[in-house]
Amino acid sequence: MTLGERITARFTRIGLREKLLFSMLAAVLFISVAIALISRWILVSSLTNELEMRGFAIAHSVAERGGSYLLDNDIPRLLVLIFDEARLRQRKDLVAYIFIEDQAGNILAHTLTHRLPDNLRANTLPPGKPDSIKLMELGDQEVYDLAAAINEGLYRIGTVHVGLNKRHIDALVGKLRVAFLGFISAVVIITIILSSWLSKYITKPVSDLTRLSDEISRGNFDIPLKLGSGEDWDSAECPAFSNTDLPCWHFDQSRSGQTPAETHRKCADCAFYRKHTGDEVVQLGDSFRNMVWSIKLYRRRLRESEEKYRSLFDSGPDPIFVVDCASGTIRDANPRTTELYGYPREQLMDMPFLALGPEHNAACLDFFTEGGGGCVYYPKRLHYKNGGEPFFVNMHACPISYRGRQAIIIAVTDITELIEKDAQLIQAAKMKSLGEMSAGVAHEINQPLNAIKVGSEFLSMMWEEDLEIPKEHFGEVVNEISSQVDRAAEIIDTLRSFGRKSDLIEESVDLNQPVRAVLSMVRRQFELENIRFELELVAGLSPVRAHSNRLQQVLFNLVTNARDAINDVSNADTGGDRRIIIRTGNREDKVFIEVEDTGGGIDEMDQQKIFEPFFTTKEAGQGMGLGLAITYGIIKDYGGEIRIDSTKGRGTVFRMEFPAAARGETKA
Amino acid sequence: MSDKVLVIDDERPTLKMFTLLLSAYGYEVLTAENGLEGVETFRRESPDLVLTDIKMPIMDGIEALKAIKKLNPATEVIVITGHGDMDLAIQALNLDATDFINKPLKREALEKALTRAKERMTIARNSEGQVVLEEKNRAAVIGVRGNVSAMTMPRLTEAFEKAMAMDKEAVLIEFEKNASINGAGITGLTELLRGNAGSGTRVYLAGLSSNFRSVFEALGITRYAELFDQGRETLTDA
Repeated sequence: MTLGERITARFTRIGLREKLLFSMLAAVLFISVAIALISRWILVSSLTNELEMRGFAIAHSVAERGGSYLLDNDIPRLLVLIFDEARLRQRKDLVAYIFIEDQAGNILAHTLTHRLPDNLRANTLPPGKPDSIKLMELGDQEVYDLAAAINEGLYRIGTVHVGLNKRHIDALVGKLRVAFLGFISAVVIITIILSSWLSKYITKPVSDLTRLSDEISRGNFDIPLKLGSGEDWDSAECPAFSNTDLPCWHFDQSRSGQTPAETHRKCADCAFYRKHTGDEVVQLGDSFRNMVWSIKLYRRRLRESEEKYRSLFDSGPDPIFVVDCASGTIRDANPRTTELYGYPREQLMDMPFLALGPEHNAACLDFFTEGGGGCVYYPKRLHYKNGGEPFFVNMHACPISYRGRQAIIIAVTDITELIEKDAQLIQAAKMKSLGEMSAGVAHEINQPLNAIKVGSEFLSMMWEEDLEIPKEHFGEVVNEISSQVDRAAEIIDTLRSFGRKSDLIEESVDLNQPVRAVLSMVRRQFELENIRFELELVAGLSPVRAHSNRLQQVLFNLVTNARDAINDVSNADTGGDRRIIIRTGNREDKVFIEVEDTGGGIDEMDQQKIFEPFFTTKEAGQGMGLGLAITYGIIKDYGGEIRIDSTKGRGTVFRMEFPAAARGETKA
Repeated sequence: MSDKVLVIDDERPTLKMFTLLLSAYGYEVLTAENGLEGVETFRRESPDLVLTDIKMPIMDGIEALKAIKKLNPATEVIVITGHGDMDLAIQALNLDATDFINKPLKREALEKALTRAKERMTIARNSEGQVVLEEKNRAAVIGVRGNVSAMTMPRLTEAFEKAMAMDKEAVLIEFEKNASINGAGITGLTELLRGNAGSGTRVYLAGLSSNFRSVFEALGITRYAELFDQGRETLTDA
């Protein structure tokens, strides 16, 4: 560290007051010294010059008047002359001596009371020069010896020496110096007083503000805000302090219940906000107070808000997690989580969120780590309790900042009971459908049974009558019986799968499969009513995550509705266009099924209400109006959509679209 | 000479089995897969006996029955109905079907139906159904043979009134094995029995095939008359 740096460092450490004082002093001193030097140089040299000039004037005057005396060698007159000149008025302080010497260097006259010391004669005039000056010693004094030539015409006849008392000159200079120093000292003192007052005026509030800031930084907001103008604020005066719903106009610059307009930045002054008239220091003080007040106000609000939300977090009926985005671990969880998930709180902390729902949570975490903004909703996700018991939840996830890190707040609702109820409802509806189907199914089963019966009666008759059965007849009958048994078994299988309670977990389904299953149950029945099916099933459909037997339920509802719609406009005997067209296909990443009928179509008004529960166009007692509502619910459950395209008088198309699942795990 | 029988059923396997079975009974079997085809075959071959399923696409058994009866009212048409489907059976009887058999088909029932049909056909060739009134000790017995239809109904009514006039303890209407009742016959009989209700004379019906028993039960005729099979002698002998 160089000296300069050290000084700078030291300078930065000292207080503002000292800085002001020192810098002002330094400035004053510098100016004073400069003035002193300049004035000394000007004054002292001009004073000395002036005195020397006076000395020379005396010398020349003596030389002028003494020339004739010298020629006459009238020594007494010469003596009188030089004594007169030397003792004239104030000169006696200045002039130490006058003496005259002739050309040869002999002393003709002098004003000294004692013998002229020889050393005074050292100042000789160089030839051609009228005068000369030289500092001499006279006894213990210093004397400026001025020599001037005494001329008579062109010839020099002698020299006059005037000794100027140096002490007198110095005394004059000294007086001047004292006066000067006195002045400078006065200036310095005034400067010090002034600067200390000024610095005190500035630094006092600054150090007060510093002290306050320090206190506030330490979290102590209850210090009196006595700044500058004196009076402290009474927090009770501010209505916004006790009523946190009421914003402080000035600080909030918005009013409760009002949407902040573009111009709200210029709103009215807060009753609590004050601005004194005064200089910058006063204004700074006011601003600081306002700021502290504002912080105080918001701190209070923040605390209330924190308490409010903390209590919501802690007492909320649903589990809430705070999950770190980067690591995917749980950072915070409310008490409900421990109840629902069955993990102790300590274990839950820093547990990966993925562990609670390995199948579905990854998508949620990925959404946020990939920078997705806003809140997302994940319905019907599978989570696991401690011990592996699965249950269904709805998840709401929103991004937040938690302890300086990017995090997600995930609220979870246990909907297992709801889903079970839902499943029960669907199951009940399915049972009802089974009931509706039973007549058709009975007929359907009766057909193979009849063939079997007739075949076996043939065999038993032949056996009883002991008749020979031709071999090919025997084979025919036996094969037919076997294949008819298969057929009956297949119908029973389909029925059983339809009536089976669905698992809570979805499987991958090829949409053609439920179509075929439903048709196997109802096709004959519909054909007997003269309704024909046209199938446009695309092979190689993408699978869909769903329950096959619920989809059968949906299709059954739709085809029976289609049949009813067709029967409404024509009957089996009179004919007419009696067709149900079922199409399947892939469209982008969706898989669709369309069920089209050639019935009477649906009113525009009814189309909007058709999926509402208990809405029915059928006569009272004919239907509950739950079929399509349940259909709608089932389709929504699989992330699908259902739309109606219907023109009155020209039939109806129900189109269902499902998101395609990843290929390769088709079960059905 | 083997009798021609036309079987109409939309089930190909059933047709095949029928063909074998009926051939074994010595019939010449014609088959048709639906009503329309059946009617055409009937028109072409004019068989005396038709067995038809009711539920069929394109043209159902009822329609076929109507068409066949129109072509030849004397044709014996036996409808095959789903088990317990009494409505359709009655509907068919109303349309002059002479008998019905339940599915799955029992050989016994088929045999009986075929026998009855054969006998009826024989009777029909001689005369319309016969009604015979006999007076017994405690009861008047009305014997019925052949087909009770709109044509035989007046004779039955006459016999019934006579029987009532005998003022016996009971009236027994005895159906022969081959007897059958069509829709008009059922309606007439129902009216007769209803008219008698409250007169104090008990009416018994005897000898009905199980098919007709169930029809009578379904129609509520048993409210006016008791079905009576065994113990005929208790009424007639003593």
